Amino acid sequence: MIETRELRRDFGGIKALAGVTLKVAEGERRAIIGPNGAGKTTLFNVLTGELEPTAGEVRLAGEDVTGRRPHELARRGVARMYQRNELFDPLPARDNVAIGVAAAAGPYRPFRTPPASELAAADELLERVGLAGRGSVAARALSHGERRQLELAVALARRPRVLLLDEPTAGMSPAETSRITDLISSLDQSLTLVIVEHDMDVVFRLAERITVLHEGRVIAEGTPAQVRGDTLVNEVYLGKVVA
Amino acid sequence: MKRFVAPVALSLAAALLVGFPIWSAPWESSRYATGILRDMLILGILALSLDLLVGSAGMPSLGHAAYFGAGAYAAAIAGQRLGSDDLLLGLGAAILVSAFLALVIGSVAVRAAGIFFLMLTLAFAQMVFAIAFQAADITGGSNGFSGVRRPMLFGLDFNGPDALFHLVAVVFLLVLLLAWRLRSSAYGRALVGLRENERRMRALGYDTTRLKLSAFVVAGAIAGVGGALQAYSIRFVSTNDVGVARSVEAFVSVLIGGASTLVGPVIGAIVVLFIERVMPSYIAFAETVLGLVFIVFVLAARQGIVGLVRASYARVRA
Repeated sequence: MIETRELRRDFGGIKALAGVTLKVAEGERRAIIGPNGAGKTTLFNVLTGELEPTAGEVRLAGEDVTGRRPHELARRGVARMYQRNELFDPLPARDNVAIGVAAAAGPYRPFRTPPASELAAADELLERVGLAGRGSVAARALSHGERRQLELAVALARRPRVLLLDEPTAGMSPAETSRITDLISSLDQSLTLVIVEHDMDVVFRLAERITVLHEGRVIAEGTPAQVRGDTLVNEVYLGKVVA
Repeated sequence: MKRFVAPVALSLAAALLVGFPIWSAPWESSRYATGILRDMLILGILALSLDLLVGSAGMPSLGHAAYFGAGAYAAAIAGQRLGSDDLLLGLGAAILVSAFLALVIGSVAVRAAGIFFLMLTLAFAQMVFAIAFQAADITGGSNGFSGVRRPMLFGLDFNGPDALFHLVAVVFLLVLLLAWRLRSSAYGRALVGLRENERRMRALGYDTTRLKLSAFVVAGAIAGVGGALQAYSIRFVSTNDVGVARSVEAFVSVLIGGASTLVGPVIGAIVVLFIERVMPSYIAFAETVLGLVFIVFVLAARQGIVGLVRASYARVRA
């Protein structure tokens, strides 16, 4: 569904991505792990078109989409749950999602009130992420956990084919972590998920396959069991966390 | 029953506004008041169009007079060169020219944001001002363009001051209606999304550059309509109409009245012209008052007059 070939991205002299090749199949749930500075967020920024790669290729459903702008990739079905929520803070939760739902029809409808179906779809999504009844609360007035849930709803609003989840449980309490993990795990099986996450319990619960990044390179890839048993991975990453 | 109250009240208010010169005729200062109110409505149109950028989309343009002036010159010059008094021709020329100008300038300006956008719009407006000043053959340059012909429409003659006031008031109401409609539309909501989080808008598939450019062009076209009405009103166009002072006047109107509050910019325009035009007859240093009022609002009431009213209303109800 989404793949990269020899993807490179330099920042001055720093090679944030030093030749990343990976292939995520349709409907797969892939986790990308690695220490801070491994290039995970840079990889996401390239996959969403927010950064242009220095070299290499990005393919989406077989199509070369390298260097496409963010809105073009979004229209082709790439969505992202940002690590730091990207919400419309003063607007009610329902409008946050409705703007996402309305994106497909486009903004050039100057004389008509948004159709009720858009608001209904937004309410449905809010219910899906556990925010039923919270639609009229401003995004900024929600709790941290609720804001993460709303961020997920907004990311889902355009019915993406590929969803990039950037540390979905960042800053959450154990209870909130468990709730959002259940939520992600219950998403439609046909949706391709790529998850960057530091919490290894979450990673092992969600991922079918794991890619390990280190200093901008893929140093291991495989099923959770394979990755857990990999000595190199234990040395550079897991060893420090699991111990 | 209740559902009819608001539309009836609004229609009544609209009729009162359009008919102002008629029912105020017995007043000694009716003519003078009509002239001031007319100018307030014209500045109101300019402020409403600017609020589409500043308030809705979060694009602080400090060069909005460029489109106002372009509309004024376009209506005046089209009338003169084509020897026609047709209102539709004049307004059409104003809309076309100001929208085209906004398209050209906007194509560059919308690529910047925040203070850089503000500086770019100001710089481009200064260029337009310089052109208006230099191209004396067409614009009259520093002497201005005098003898603007007042328009006709379907045999209606807007030559008299009262008739012209009716025209300005009707166009103002149409612009207000348009602004209201835009606000509650999918388009208006997308502009608010742009203001609140452009990154998220892009990630949702909105082409934000195009969206900003569209708002810039629409706002420019509406400002052009205001400019045309101004040219008809005073039968004169000067480089002041494209100058930075006019841009600031509109910007201050939006901020004092309350950005993104629909009627705020209109209230702001009324306050600004009241201070500039009426108060000097009663007190000295009236211009300074405007500066002080502006400072107070920037420091203490970012939501403007409408924001203050809403806040105190909420306090009373609570």
